[in-house]
Amino acid sequence: MSSSEIKQGLRKTEFPNCAKEALNKIGQLICGRNTNIKQMDLALDLMAEFVFCEVDRRGNKRNSVFTAIQELQLLEVLFDYFNSVTGDAARNSVFLTLFSGTTASQRLGILSKLVSIAIGTGSAKVLISASTWMQQLGNTSPNCCKLAEALVMDYFILIPNSIDQLKLLYQNSQQFTANFLTAVAELYYVDSKKEIVFPPKTLLETIVHWVSENYKLCVAAQIMQSPLPPGAIAMEATTPIAGLLKWCVLAPIYNQNNELYSQLHLSLLNSLLEIPVSNPPRAVSSQHLIVPVGSICRYSLELHKRKKGVDKQTLFENDANLQLSLDRYAQAIQIALFGKCIYGNVNELVNQLSQLPQNKLLGIVIYIHKMNK
Amino acid sequence: MDEEYVIQKAKQALQTDPLSAKAWMLTAKTLYPNNFGVQFEAYKIEKCSGHVKETAKCFSNLIGKFQQQPEFWEEINLVTAALRMETESKENDFLCEMFKHISADVQHKLLLLTADHCKDIHERCKLLLLLLQRFPSAIRTHGSSLVETLLSHSLSASTDANCFHKLLVCDLLPLLNSQSNITLELAPKVIFTLLHKTLKLHISTLKENQQSNKDLSCSEPWSQLFCVIEFVGKQLGWDPQLVNFTNWTKENYWQRLMHFYQSANWDDFTNPKQLVYCLILFLIYCLHQYNMNMSMENYVMIEAFTDASLPSPQIPEHKAKKRKTEVDLNVPHLSTENSNKSITSNFMLAVNCWDLLHSTDEINSEFTSLSTMLGLEVWLSSFYIDYSIYKGKYEEALKRLDCDGRAPIMKAITKACIHYTQYNYLVAFENVIETLNLLPTNIGTTSTQLVVGGNQRHLHFLPLTKLAVLQFCSKLVLRSIRQKGAKSSDMAIGHTLVLMQIDWPQEEEMLPSLMEEISRAGSFAYPHFQDYLIQVDILEELAYLWSIPGGKITLDIVPNLTTRRMGTRLADKGMKDVIRQAIRKQISRCNEPIHELIHSFLVQEKLQISPTLN
Repeated sequence: MSSSEIKQGLRKTEFPNCAKEALNKIGQLICGRNTNIKQMDLALDLMAEFVFCEVDRRGNKRNSVFTAIQELQLLEVLFDYFNSVTGDAARNSVFLTLFSGTTASQRLGILSKLVSIAIGTGSAKVLISASTWMQQLGNTSPNCCKLAEALVMDYFILIPNSIDQLKLLYQNSQQFTANFLTAVAELYYVDSKKEIVFPPKTLLETIVHWVSENYKLCVAAQIMQSPLPPGAIAMEATTPIAGLLKWCVLAPIYNQNNELYSQLHLSLLNSLLEIPVSNPPRAVSSQHLIVPVGSICRYSLELHKRKKGVDKQTLFENDANLQLSLDRYAQAIQIALFGKCIYGNVNELVNQLSQLPQNKLLGIVIYIHKMNK
Repeated sequence: MDEEYVIQKAKQALQTDPLSAKAWMLTAKTLYPNNFGVQFEAYKIEKCSGHVKETAKCFSNLIGKFQQQPEFWEEINLVTAALRMETESKENDFLCEMFKHISADVQHKLLLLTADHCKDIHERCKLLLLLLQRFPSAIRTHGSSLVETLLSHSLSASTDANCFHKLLVCDLLPLLNSQSNITLELAPKVIFTLLHKTLKLHISTLKENQQSNKDLSCSEPWSQLFCVIEFVGKQLGWDPQLVNFTNWTKENYWQRLMHFYQSANWDDFTNPKQLVYCLILFLIYCLHQYNMNMSMENYVMIEAFTDASLPSPQIPEHKAKKRKTEVDLNVPHLSTENSNKSITSNFMLAVNCWDLLHSTDEINSEFTSLSTMLGLEVWLSSFYIDYSIYKGKYEEALKRLDCDGRAPIMKAITKACIHYTQYNYLVAFENVIETLNLLPTNIGTTSTQLVVGGNQRHLHFLPLTKLAVLQFCSKLVLRSIRQKGAKSSDMAIGHTLVLMQIDWPQEEEMLPSLMEEISRAGSFAYPHFQDYLIQVDILEELAYLWSIPGGKITLDIVPNLTTRRMGTRLADKGMKDVIRQAIRKQISRCNEPIHELIHSFLVQEKLQISPTLN
């Protein structure tokens, strides 16, 4: 059957049935034994025209978007389709093609809702594919962050009492949970934004529960690799450790004194100790760990500005929040150094840390590090 | 100092913020991995906070590097002490729980280290045992030496020799037995020493228990003994059939012994040895149970009576087939009260063991030397008396009886029945009188089993109760009198009638012949009539003989009447009244306790009875 014949055939069916049939066809095209460029193109066309209805039969962009009903119908078709594909590799292939790097931003609304449904219904299959998708796109990439944001909205803001459901999530798919954590960590305590945003309490609670329950969760996405379409290059997943650590380190200087941060911090330290030894290290990036330095420096500068005339060192030493922040930071750095799980430029990290306001523990950590070198 | 600062921070936070305390602790541990003070402090903090897993982690960390530190060494000792459950406390429970969370490698290391350090040999052995219990794989390297150490110390004269033996037999050997895939390199000499030691100890324990009347049914020492035999058998490659005591029965084991005896290759010098050991064990076991039966029910074995006119006791069918035509008259029939099978089967198994142990020269000599070494002879002496009686070796039994420790009344009874069997009725009677002076206070009941039919010898397990013993004595005297029946006199007939009363109507069938004798003689003079004859049936028979239809026999039963006998009719009539009244009077006494009557008869009329036995 030629491309046009296939399209002609599909055009005879109404939405959402055409989407359903198109998906089956796409699956055949992508997962065939020797997929060529032509088939790939056809699959992409079918997606645009019959699944997402983004273009009309002539390939022109359609302005009209889905109605709420249509969107729901499409979600149902997608959800059923992914749950019916048994092979992880095949399912991941279709998933990655449907929501590729170039089309993802457009289709992110549908994607978020699809994943949201998967979390709600505990569909491990969709979650595995979503996890693979996050990893292949880079789990700290803007698209992933948007997905994370949408999920936080659905599960932590709109329905805040869904904690029990979420506590089970990591049992269904630890990989997805780990990738989600990495993405979600990037959403908060970002002081380059106009106004700094803190994670909602329910989110924090859930994360503490997840991480403290299983110290291996943070590296779950690195331990378990999901099957990819042939020829695809597996991307290394970033662990949520550095991102979440940033929350704990910065929380005191933003007066976020919830005990949950202490708990999260301790769980992260334990997680660091549980990281399997690898050579070269791969669990925490030096670059990622440096992030809080900027915020702390800005905080101390402002502190100094506000209280001019007071001796800088005394000022910093007497600021309990600043010291707590630095203690937590130093503890994490020490344990990460001890576990030899930092990759990238460790010297640069240590240099940056030396710029921070005076803290006894941090001094000890840097001193011991230099001694051991 | 830096390390002090970090530790200080952790300790400070402990009270106010446990989470941050832990974070500090983790930091300290990673900062100073080689600093004992820091690591040990971390351990103590986790221990105080009751965190099992974390404490275990700290402990594992310490043991690799710091076992030479005295402070930590104390801690190690606390853990091993807790594992041995010497004292129960919250801390011990915690430490045991912690031990479970330590990896197997570290556990092994811990136990071995402590054992190596331990100066007290008993403690050291306990630790090694603990190690082997937790890590059976260590048996290969430490098993043999531990057996040897324990054994050599259990043989020593020190006060705690028994502790070593207990450790060896109760704890180590069961463990070794359960690990069938592991063989130890132990010299046969060591193994035999172990076996002898255990048997000796066991026999002496049994002896002690018996003498102090302790609970003899205690099964523990037995399971220990079986355990040792099992171990020895395994190590020496004995026939597995002979050393397997799981779910065994005595009968089944006896079959196995017989099968081995019949099929073994006797050229192999190990075979008589293993058979003798197993036989001795089995003999002791059966005898122990036999003695238990005997002492619990308080039995004494007697040569009881037979009556050829009665049918033979029922012989179980399968045996009946074998010896359809002839019953070996020398193989006694064994009877008990309320058909207590276990006592006869225990006795028979012991007898069979004994016979087998004396069946060939090889086995016999092996047994004799072992028996001397183990001190078995003293223990066997009581059984040997019963065995001799069973085999009809009465002289042997009498000889042994004098030096045996059984109760005087039992000795008297045994002697009585032996002398009776050997027709020494007067001596037997002496023994009866001796017995009667020692009668137990426990009343009991009379037996129906003292006489069985047929010609086969009859052995009975007589309960030591007043009635049973008295009944046996009466029957013995009665039969003694009857044996001399050829020259039967009125006195003999009268005594017989009196003695019959004890278990009337058991001896009823004797009555017609007695009455016939009286009626043939035409008169019956018995001076003890008024004292001892109160049985209605017997009195009626006598009254009948005295009546006109009965033959008008002269009854001389009122002692003083004979002296004033007169020939007048009137006097004759008066005499009749006197006799009638005498009989009536006796009948009215029929509810008097018969056993007291018989007892006083035998004791008080001793001089009257003796002549009838000669």
